[in-house]
Amino acid sequence: MSRLKSALVTGATTPLGRSLCARLLASGCEVLAVGLEAESAARFLIPEAAAYAAADLAKPRELHDLVFGPAKARSIDTVFHLATHRSLGVEGERVHALNVEALRQLIAHCEAHPTIARLVYRSYAEVYRVDQRLPNVIDEEHPLDHGAGRPQWLRDRVEADGVACARMGMTKLEIAVLRCADVFASGTGSQIYDYVRSRVCFKPLGFDPMINLLSLEDAAEALFLAGAAERGQGVFNVPGADTMPLGLCIRSAKRIAVPLPGPLLLPLYALRRRIIRTEFSYGLYKGRMHFPGILDGRRAREVLGFQPAGVS
Amino acid sequence: MLGAALPSIAFDDAGHGYDRFGLSPSALRVAFAAAWPLYRYYFRVASVGAEHVPKAGAAIVVANHSGMLPFDGMMLCMDVAQQRQRALRPLADHAVGALPFIGVAMQRIGAVSGTSTNARALLEAGEILLVFPEGVPGISKPARRKYRLTHWRPGHAELALRHKAPIIPAAVVGAEEQFPIVHNSKRLGRLVGAPHVPLPFLPVPFVPVPLPVKYRIYYGEPIVPEGDANDPSAVEHAAWQTQNAVQALIARGLRERRGSFW
Repeated sequence: MSRLKSALVTGATTPLGRSLCARLLASGCEVLAVGLEAESAARFLIPEAAAYAAADLAKPRELHDLVFGPAKARSIDTVFHLATHRSLGVEGERVHALNVEALRQLIAHCEAHPTIARLVYRSYAEVYRVDQRLPNVIDEEHPLDHGAGRPQWLRDRVEADGVACARMGMTKLEIAVLRCADVFASGTGSQIYDYVRSRVCFKPLGFDPMINLLSLEDAAEALFLAGAAERGQGVFNVPGADTMPLGLCIRSAKRIAVPLPGPLLLPLYALRRRIIRTEFSYGLYKGRMHFPGILDGRRAREVLGFQPAGVS
Repeated sequence: MLGAALPSIAFDDAGHGYDRFGLSPSALRVAFAAAWPLYRYYFRVASVGAEHVPKAGAAIVVANHSGMLPFDGMMLCMDVAQQRQRALRPLADHAVGALPFIGVAMQRIGAVSGTSTNARALLEAGEILLVFPEGVPGISKPARRKYRLTHWRPGHAELALRHKAPIIPAAVVGAEEQFPIVHNSKRLGRLVGAPHVPLPFLPVPFVPVPLPVKYRIYYGEPIVPEGDANDPSAVEHAAWQTQNAVQALIARGLRERRGSFW
């Protein structure tokens, strides 16, 4: 657990980035936090003890200068890449540049960097396909969702995951991909968090699938362990401690569950997204609204020693 | 009554009273209490050799499948709960999970979609699986083929070899007569998107309940298959061993019974 001395965290001003920075600092690690905001604004968001660099990772030059400028000067040994577009409603080349191309270039820069030995990429459980023919327990070999007509939000995540996996073992840079369960917190892009924000939650009639939720603290802990572990290369599922039926999740959030026939939910939630600009997409989440898709965290437990503690 | 035995049934609680697959002991209790009259008074289940079912640890109960509707699975689950205080985890066809209401009900009482990853996760958690290697063709075989095992799929043998889990062969005698099937209609099957639709001895509206046959369940001695799970011949041999054991138990049950209804 002593290999992690100096870390660079992209997406540091997001809720997960802030939790990770706090966890790294608590372990005695030096942190270079990276965000899009100017330093004066970011100072309110990141822990005081962390150094800060503003950079737009969608711009190749800024990314290059970050890695071979401040990151080189601080002898960074581990990079945590959390920066992705969270909003489902925003699409286009710029979004792709941040979601995918920035990771591709970051890996190339890290491979050429003199001190960076490991890159930890935060991926998403949504990259897995969930349907009736597939296992309910999702291990790391589970098929990914390459379905036609999927939104860019998902296509980019699947592609970025593949970009990181494709470079594993090719150079001395160790790459860990953490496919995290839905982080049940505001500002994380969580589909289920947005879903239960409504007073009334419509769910498919006759279905009550099991869902799994991950807390911010657990997600940060898993990322930290992936950076600190002696052997950390590979793909790891990161499930949360809370597994429950969707109906119970809705009741626990003190919301009203209204079961409706499945075909009505797609237009209903499309309308909701349009009118009140929410993030939940029934089209994206349809499989998980019908069938259980619970991450199997055995590998993360055995290799990283990760055991979720629960929602705080 | 069976409900009294259930509080002691161990399950892998994922934190909110459910396991990862959706099993809920409270739902199981309700389901078993509701089905108790069927078990005790309607089918009058009598079982032999339940001591072969281990009280703890991973295992696979492998049985013949028959009777159009899976009452045999339900009675096996209730019998193991009653005799050994364990919740059997039936591996069901993936189509079951896609059925509204029924899929959820099956999950709550412990059924799991029959994929190798699901089975692996359950065996690693020390659970006991219920596998019907004959699958859907088993429950829909016509009356003239009763008590003759149909195509015996070897997946259970591979699982047992891979996870070093003992196989407990089991035979359900009586279920074959509960819904005598006269014909399997491929034409109707095409209409509903299934390989075939079994036609019972009377039109479906006139057979809302199965015939009151007597169920006899026989458990055989555990089989601990040996060999490499990746060796097809070792898998086939273990499956053949199990099939023979189940067929022998069926023959014993048929010898020992006086008729289908008593």
